[in-house]
Amino acid sequence: MFNTSDTIVAIATPPGRGGIGVVRLSGRDSPEIARRLTRRSAPLVARHATFAHVHDLDAPAETGRPVDQVVVTWFARPHSYTAEDVVELSAHGSPVLLARILGLAVRAGARLAEPGEFTLRAYLNGRIDLVQAEAVCDLVAAVTPLQARAAMDQLEGTLTGLIGEVDGALFDLCARLEASLDFPDEGFHFIAPAAATAALAAVIARLRTLSTAGHAGRLIREGSLVVIAGAPNAGKSSLFNALVGSARAIVADVPGTTRDLLTETVDLGGLPVTIVDTAGLRDSADRIEVEGVRRAREAQSVAALTLLVIDGSVPLDATDRALIDQNPAGPRLLVLTKADLPRGCRDQELSSLAGALSVSAVTGEGLDGLRQQIVLALTGRDEWRDPPALSNARHVRLVEEALAVVEHAAGLLDRGATEELVLAELAAARRALEAVTGTRGADDMLNHIFTRFCVGK
Amino acid sequence: MRYDVVVIGAGHAGCEAAWAAAELGCRVGLCTISKDTVALMPCNPAIGGTAKGHLVREIDALGGLMGRAIDATAIQFKLLNRSRGPAVWSPRAQADKRRYGVWMREALSSHPQISWLIGRAARMVIAGGRVTGVTFEDGQTVECGALVITTGTFLNGLIHVGDECTPAGRVNEPPTRQLADSLHELGLQMGRLKTGTPPRLDRGTIDFSVFQEERGDEPIVPFSFESGRLVRDQISCHLLHTTEAVHDQVRAGISRSPLYNGQITGIGPRYCPSLEDKVMRFPDKERHQIFLEPEGSDVPEIYVNGLSMSLPRDLQESIVHALPGLGAARVLRHAYAVEYDFVQPTELAATLETKVLGGLYLAGQINGTSGYEEAAAQGIMAGMNAACGVHGRSPLILRRDQAYIGILIDDLVTRGCLEPYRMFTSRAEHRLLLRIDNADLRLTPVGRTVGMVNARRWARFEARCSRLERNRKAVESTRVRVGGETTMADQALSRPLVTCEDLMEQGLALEVDADRGDVDLATLTAELKYRGYLKRHGAQLARAQADEARPIPANFSYAAIPGLSRELAQRFTEIRPATLGQAARVPGATPAAVAVLGSRLNRGAARAT
Repeated sequence: MFNTSDTIVAIATPPGRGGIGVVRLSGRDSPEIARRLTRRSAPLVARHATFAHVHDLDAPAETGRPVDQVVVTWFARPHSYTAEDVVELSAHGSPVLLARILGLAVRAGARLAEPGEFTLRAYLNGRIDLVQAEAVCDLVAAVTPLQARAAMDQLEGTLTGLIGEVDGALFDLCARLEASLDFPDEGFHFIAPAAATAALAAVIARLRTLSTAGHAGRLIREGSLVVIAGAPNAGKSSLFNALVGSARAIVADVPGTTRDLLTETVDLGGLPVTIVDTAGLRDSADRIEVEGVRRAREAQSVAALTLLVIDGSVPLDATDRALIDQNPAGPRLLVLTKADLPRGCRDQELSSLAGALSVSAVTGEGLDGLRQQIVLALTGRDEWRDPPALSNARHVRLVEEALAVVEHAAGLLDRGATEELVLAELAAARRALEAVTGTRGADDMLNHIFTRFCVGK
Repeated sequence: MRYDVVVIGAGHAGCEAAWAAAELGCRVGLCTISKDTVALMPCNPAIGGTAKGHLVREIDALGGLMGRAIDATAIQFKLLNRSRGPAVWSPRAQADKRRYGVWMREALSSHPQISWLIGRAARMVIAGGRVTGVTFEDGQTVECGALVITTGTFLNGLIHVGDECTPAGRVNEPPTRQLADSLHELGLQMGRLKTGTPPRLDRGTIDFSVFQEERGDEPIVPFSFESGRLVRDQISCHLLHTTEAVHDQVRAGISRSPLYNGQITGIGPRYCPSLEDKVMRFPDKERHQIFLEPEGSDVPEIYVNGLSMSLPRDLQESIVHALPGLGAARVLRHAYAVEYDFVQPTELAATLETKVLGGLYLAGQINGTSGYEEAAAQGIMAGMNAACGVHGRSPLILRRDQAYIGILIDDLVTRGCLEPYRMFTSRAEHRLLLRIDNADLRLTPVGRTVGMVNARRWARFEARCSRLERNRKAVESTRVRVGGETTMADQALSRPLVTCEDLMEQGLALEVDADRGDVDLATLTAELKYRGYLKRHGAQLARAQADEARPIPANFSYAAIPGLSRELAQRFTEIRPATLGQAARVPGATPAAVAVLGSRLNRGAARAT
């Protein structure tokens, strides 16, 4: 556990040169440290951008040249990212300059922040919930725009809101079932059995939607692996280069050129897809090539999708046929390469190539179609305009746990189990949902009952 | 005169406290204004009900009196929630108020360790940071090792009937002002609550023929594990409903209600709404239930359950007469509301000892609770802990997964009271474990260890445990046919609608006590019906229990913990939670704060070893 009572400092902008670079301080002493670095006599004004010079702490006041010109902004607690006093120094974006300012801040009493410590403080201070804290990490790590939007949605509380709605529906149902146990003398139903069944069905439907979205969301967040496989010299490496947009792989018309796995991550319709080029699949005496083929098969076994590449300019040979007829371990797309050359396969072979996509790595023909088909095969949709609500593996697991428990409870209700047993299960489901956000849901069940029903004698 | 323990007040809390301390070998002085009001029921003539019935079973399993007293004197018995599972079965009985009080007084009088102190307590005597005695209003002083105060609604009590305000603890009984001042002077945080009681009618002036009759259960399910088969003539209660005419009268006279014109400031219980609240807050509800409950088998008073109010006398009579069957009913006693001071129970440790003054214990309505059963539950714990304190023994604190009594006290001392606190089964997060059938399994060994359970009761308990063990083996080794298939009896009983009785007809041999088969079968049924749940969620239960077992040192400093807000650190410092589990229940404690606290405790533990 970190200490959270001191003042921390870090460079907030990415490493490397840039127009500006930001040094961020958080903690009680931030305004005072900033004041000392900038040699200001007047205190900073909260939420005002102030132009200032940063000076070396030891340099004499008159002669010393400033380290840099900066814009200083003080976000007074609790209205800041961490809910503590935060000061941001926007300096010129040179790594050397920024490191120097950082060093001065440390000498003035700040401590170098651990990775993620600003966000940890925001969470501990109740500024954001667990879902939002995780979203910050995702947002910073996002590769594709869709990933960034998914993380941003989460940061803004979209997921917390959705979980809250499901938990709210469960809470209301639980309160009514509780009321029928605690007030059996009231002479009326707090909830009719059919209504309880319907309410549970509605909760199950919402959790299923979330869980389905979670599957796609994980693809967006974590990406997926697409393996290019096929006979030697079928054009795999050319296709790989065309899809990743650079001459990453050595291409030669010598069969067996590619021996090791080559990987590159690209954005396909918002999904981060890692494409893997593999060695041509054939029996070989070359020990290195044998190892390459073994790795190619292993890559296929873990891939979310395999692109089986067939040379479209020559008739199918025995190796091709064997590969086509092989029962694929997972989803597979057939790709006929070299569409810029005359087609070589005979008409009677077309049936075994049904659904195959024709592409040319030379002219680019068919490549967009292939990209779309890859996204469709991975997610069941050809395009992601809106990011799915759920994308983090921890969230998906907890939502699925809640779903399983609620389904079990619905089954119990169906078989005639009484309220106290159903309620025990539903309480477990609520705990799982609360673990997603790391906050506690409504627990004043009695208040919920008393404001809706006139109970008690 | 010197006693080990002095108990002020002989209501439901005081009686159990005195009995428990005496059973633990203390010389006890039990102080009451009059021996005619021992274990008085100033409100409804009933013991038990949902969750309250659980409390009575637990008091009984520990060796307390309430269950035996009501079994001996009740005039009607019911088992509530019988159509549901065994975890929420709850006994309730209509009491014969006078006979109940007499039974309790005689039980206490017969205890050689208990002496009656008749008079009004006025001030505590304090020396060296501990309470050392009590001075009475007549100037007499008694010394004590520990003091248990159970004064109910008497602290600055104020009764309202319309615009009449009378200082009183109960009707016709003067309030306790000096003792209230004495508590105020300790600096205890205090508040003001309100409760109420309905009118009493003369049985002979009521036309019962127009009501729905509510009969007791046969066979009777008793409260006490000590009771054998109970056979007695049971009286009936009667059900009627309010009418629009009644609602109109309430609405027309609402400005004369002290509840609605600002005369009453104390906060009343939402689960026991006054007639004014029912009509004004739920205008869409066409009618409300009213139960007519006799206050005894041979007294004229009929308690009008559901008609508590603080309206003026003339309007009360007019409302009663507007009800069907009550046109000629004579009002023997009018309804009233009572406001009283209470001590915020966050001033107490889980032993019910005040944090500011050693040796001073509080129990019952003074701690913000309502209900005879809640009072008695605190009374037995305060009495045992006062005795343990006097003897230098370690205190007795029941866990939330162990007893409703544990939940009651933990809620009080951790969260405090904003309204009169009543027990509900929904307050129990481990409800399936806390049942009336296994109250003895949970608590009789505890009572035995502390010294509340005598040899006769212990022998009976041990026999019951061996029967249970043999019955568990029997269901695991007997095949039965259910729904056209053959299966093991334990598998069959884990299904919702299959009962032990069904399978016994097919030859499943279970041993049941000749007089109290209800307990034997209920425990077996519950264990099997809830087995699937406990298997699926056992790990979570174990985690929750682990947090309860992580102690926080009494002198732990919250101020120095980074990541805790100042408000929360302040609240932790006031409440001084004894375990990490209790800290998590302090209002405002976030999961993040509890995680921070937990890691800090780990660090402290690592340093200590």
